Amino acid sequence: MGHFIRFLFLSLLSFSAQSAAAEDAARLAPGQAVEDFSMPSAVGGWGQRLLEQRGKPVMLIWLDRCDRCEEQLVRYQLLAESYALDELSAWFIWAPYNNDQPPKMRLPVLLNDRYWPQSWGFDPRPAIMLINQDGVLDHLILGDLSGHYDETEKTLALWMAEQQLQARAEISNE
Amino acid sequence: MNKRPILAGLFLISVLSGYAQAESSDAGIAADILQVKRSVLELNKDLYELEEDLLSPATTRAAFYFSLSYGEFFEPLSIEVTGAGFETVRHIYTERQVAALRMGAVQPLANINLGPGKHRLRAVIRGVDQLGQNRELVVEQQVEKTDKPLLLEFVVSDLAEQQSAGAQLKFW
Repeated sequence: MGHFIRFLFLSLLSFSAQSAAAEDAARLAPGQAVEDFSMPSAVGGWGQRLLEQRGKPVMLIWLDRCDRCEEQLVRYQLLAESYALDELSAWFIWAPYNNDQPPKMRLPVLLNDRYWPQSWGFDPRPAIMLINQDGVLDHLILGDLSGHYDETEKTLALWMAEQQLQARAEISNE
Repeated sequence: MNKRPILAGLFLISVLSGYAQAESSDAGIAADILQVKRSVLELNKDLYELEEDLLSPATTRAAFYFSLSYGEFFEPLSIEVTGAGFETVRHIYTERQVAALRMGAVQPLANINLGPGKHRLRAVIRGVDQLGQNRELVVEQQVEKTDKPLLLEFVVSDLAEQQSAGAQLKFW
């Protein structure tokens, strides 16, 4: 009986921890650590895991409904590629809807699907996340991608400069 | 005779002895705290073991592993293991993980609970071949779970004569 009660308690504890993790992802805000995920490629090729990017700046571009929306994303791809030498990793995150096809880009396009348990979703979309080298969300830009391009460009420029300064300071401290 | 130095000496002795007593009492408290800390750690360890035994006793303990031998003819992108009595296990591989597998790493894929008896397992390993074409390797096999832990390794290895790769199940 005692064992059963302990088992019940542990199960409840584990369930509440899982629920808390799911809620955390939905409530993610700047200053919070971003939970790890793995997502497969939506267009073939390697999957990606967030934790493997620790030590590098990461830009996640969460797409709203998108059916071969390359045209809408090309400016973001060029922007991200301009920071490739500064080790910025940038991924588009695409969720399937009806018969929509994923965009084909040079940057990784990840498939966000409940089928994969190591993945989590984010709402509202579209959204842009800038995650620092410690895995903490520094900036969250919400809303239509076309309308927020200028804001993203400015924020990214300042943020990347900060990241570089921080990296240099860490090297000199060593 | 001047009694002042004697009184001062007595006062000093009493202060020092009080200080020494306080110090020994502090040391006693510190030792008690240390003991309590040790007890908490032991209790925590016992609780952890109890949790392990409750959630995954040896009679139902099973684990899946994955390894890649050479990997010249196949690069895994994902694996999915299904069977009755346990939740489907799915994993997505990254380039870095596959590089580690090629260097000989054995990936602990999942720990599951499996009741004693015979079980049919099916693993689908999706990936690309040396020509970049999508390929699926499937392992379907019956396994028997006894009262001992069951450790299974899905091994993908190159078949050089066929210029291809195959998957098989290895029992530890």
